[in-house]
Amino acid sequence: MSELGIALLITLVKIGVLVGLALGVGAYLTWVERKLAGHIQARLGPNVVGPFGLLQPLADGIKLLTKESIIPRGADVPVYYLAVVLALAPAILLFAVIPFGPGFELFGREIKPIIADVNIGLLLIFAMGSLLVYGTIFSGWASNSKYAFIGSLRKAAVIIAYEVVLGFAVLGVVLLAGTLSTVGIVEAQIERGVWFVFYQPVAFILYLFCMLAESGRVPFDIQEAEAELVTGYHVEYGGMRFGVFPLAEWYLNTVALSAIAVVLFFGGWSGPNILGPFSPYFWFLAKTFGLVFFVLWLHWTLPRFQARDITEIAWKIMLPLALVNLVVTAVVLYVLGGE
Amino acid sequence: MPWISRATVERVKQEFKDDLKVSSGDHAVSLEVPKSRLKDLLKHLRDRERFVHFVDMTCIDFPEDPRRFQGVYILYNPDENERVIVKTWAEDCRLPTVTDLWPGAKWAEREAYDMFGVEFEGHENLRRMFMWEGYEHFPLRKDFPLEGIPEQELPSLTEVLHGRTDPPSHDYEVLHTKVPTLEDLERTEKARLKKRTQLVLNWGPLHPGTHGTIWFLFDLEGEFVSQCDIILGQLHRGMEKIAENVYYFQFLPYTDRMDYISAICNELSYVTAVEKLLKIEVPEKARYIRTMFAELQRINSHLLWLGTGALDLGALTVFLYAFREREKIMDIIEGNAGYRLTSCFLRIGGVHYDLAEGTLDVVKAFIKDFPNKLKEYHMLLTRNRIWLRRTKDVGVITREDVHAYGLSGPVARGSGVPYNLRKLEPYAAYDEVEFDIPVGEVGDVYDRYLVRMEEMRESIRIIEQCVKKLEKLPKDAPYLNKDHPAVMPPKEDVFMSLEDMVQTFRIVVHGENAPPGDVYSSAENPRGELGFYIYSKGGGKPYRLRIRSGALYNLSIFPKLIEGRTIADAIALLGSLDPVVGETDR
Repeated sequence: MSELGIALLITLVKIGVLVGLALGVGAYLTWVERKLAGHIQARLGPNVVGPFGLLQPLADGIKLLTKESIIPRGADVPVYYLAVVLALAPAILLFAVIPFGPGFELFGREIKPIIADVNIGLLLIFAMGSLLVYGTIFSGWASNSKYAFIGSLRKAAVIIAYEVVLGFAVLGVVLLAGTLSTVGIVEAQIERGVWFVFYQPVAFILYLFCMLAESGRVPFDIQEAEAELVTGYHVEYGGMRFGVFPLAEWYLNTVALSAIAVVLFFGGWSGPNILGPFSPYFWFLAKTFGLVFFVLWLHWTLPRFQARDITEIAWKIMLPLALVNLVVTAVVLYVLGGE
Repeated sequence: MPWISRATVERVKQEFKDDLKVSSGDHAVSLEVPKSRLKDLLKHLRDRERFVHFVDMTCIDFPEDPRRFQGVYILYNPDENERVIVKTWAEDCRLPTVTDLWPGAKWAEREAYDMFGVEFEGHENLRRMFMWEGYEHFPLRKDFPLEGIPEQELPSLTEVLHGRTDPPSHDYEVLHTKVPTLEDLERTEKARLKKRTQLVLNWGPLHPGTHGTIWFLFDLEGEFVSQCDIILGQLHRGMEKIAENVYYFQFLPYTDRMDYISAICNELSYVTAVEKLLKIEVPEKARYIRTMFAELQRINSHLLWLGTGALDLGALTVFLYAFREREKIMDIIEGNAGYRLTSCFLRIGGVHYDLAEGTLDVVKAFIKDFPNKLKEYHMLLTRNRIWLRRTKDVGVITREDVHAYGLSGPVARGSGVPYNLRKLEPYAAYDEVEFDIPVGEVGDVYDRYLVRMEEMRESIRIIEQCVKKLEKLPKDAPYLNKDHPAVMPPKEDVFMSLEDMVQTFRIVVHGENAPPGDVYSSAENPRGELGFYIYSKGGGKPYRLRIRSGALYNLSIFPKLIEGRTIADAIALLGSLDPVVGETDR
């Protein structure tokens, strides 16, 4: 088999594993969230289907898949369906540039547990993050519903504001690491023996806000806002088409952005060797799900901002902060001689 | 509450001379003027005598009188704590509007127009209040039958959409009164709001944010509301019409279904009014049981408000924390009344059952535990920056507006008006227990939130005192004043003694036989002043029973407050006004 064929095969296997894992984890995160929410709210959460309600996501999936498809009158049908794809695809594509661990040798080949180790990894992340908004906008537009439309517009305003902040917040880390490659950033942290969160605490907090805003979690879930907009942009979707939106936005996106936060600020897979070769994966996943847990915890505790406040905070407070952070980082780096 | 003093009446009389007829009953003082002097009198009362607070406006239908409709205005003087009723006869079904004096009258007048067909000259937007545009009858007129006017049944929505008429899904043998069709509703919507800006957003009739079936129309400029109208009536059941056709005791269960979250408070308000009319003394034990349960119900209601209000603003967990405590109160009520929500626990002359075994222990455990839970709610919300940002300076109600719109309950107190009927017109045992009235300063959503939170604490205080008192009272103390001929004896007595059985039969068959006269009595409900104006001509049924709903008046200021604000504010504001549609629509 030619070199190219083997490389292609390896990539395909990685993609298969990752998509399977991502969707599975996404589905099971619903269970985790409901269980967690249950315990936060002094109730039990799902406990009927399977032991500890473990089969609940399957039951939900079957229910959603077998539902009748209802498309509202006056809907723009191609765009209506395109929105579903556009919501899911970027969320999964985000995982392409996430390094889960260090490279290892298998049958004499070096394999990196990352699908696309490109030197512009972070740029890709921004690109995918921005693409996500198309799913929302399309669904809001195509549904022919005012609630959905207002919800999607809100989301668009939030994404525009927070993409800018996100970019500037992450630039500090990029300056420190000297690379846009995700693997490079993790290796830079391991090399120095320190996580960037200690060098860039402001950037991390800004990133956290952006993460909440992009994944539409409380306190930034204005596009859903059950009370005002029913559930916002996906109110006219039914069955699995409906299921895809929360899956992509609330779960896949949250996991992906948490993983990226781990890469940027928490040293990726670095950590004491406790499980032999699996240790890096363990650390990576532990950190990621620690962050996911934090997001869920916030979701079930805080009230919601209103749309005006969210964009105001982004443009008036967070963007200047991010800029100052960037300038200070750059100056300090220059003074210390680009260590 | 004291009625207008003799001195004031004399002063007014000097001004109006022979035009003014004063009639003072036991429970109401009413001034009657001809229609031409009505505005002058009302203006005089408002500006000179400080009757600034608008309580209610309604009509009474007298088919045998050539003038037919009588307008009834109830006003309140917050300085002297006095009330007065002003009556006037409508001529040719017309009355002058008082919306220029009290903007709060606009919905009351629309309701009178809707129900009686009385036109108000000068009313800016005289449209049907509860019925839809194009409905040609006036339900509260005496010639409108209780069962409605039979008309041909209309095809169902499915039939309209699919053009399917054969076989018809409706039984044409059973003719019903008319129900609104989609076209009717569309016409209603168009009539209510003339679109001025970009987008008309329908909120409701079924919408999770409206806490019931209210229909909001927002005219939006971006996310900002440029005008708003509210279409009520989806839950209109004609309670006032029903009341005219049943005996006093039969109407009691209907009051449960008005503000279904605070059923016992509604009952308390109603039985207080009826007992005043029938002159029934209530035994001490019953008064304390009533007070205790009314306060439990108030906590229950405020907890629901807290939970749903926080849920609306995205704090999902507070809702379940509130419901956890609510459940305990529900259990206490269920253990005593037998029902959880629409309990029908009170009776005219007392309460239905004596306290169940162990009730006081459970209540004591609850009031011991509840302050900790309150702290928990405070911890989650009160200092939360997001919560503050959503509620501070949103929907500020001035003191003048409180009076002009007839606001009451926590909404009035949030603006610093200490209008609390438990103090001003003590009923049940409220004059024998100690409690404070928390008031706000600014009158925004946050203040109303704090007022309600503090009220729960005060309720705990009241309950504590009631429990102490009830523990001292002997176990066999009477809980029902069955010596009064209009009070139904307890059921266990009915089966054991002949007199009680006969008394029950007499009331069930002939009604309570109330004396003629009118009475207005109101109680402090969790949602504001719930008043009952009963006009009796004698006999077992009220001639006219007007329900003054606190929630309706509190809601009436909503369109004014929301103008220029976003729809995200609308939800916070609506939560703080806390209407319950069962009561606004009745």
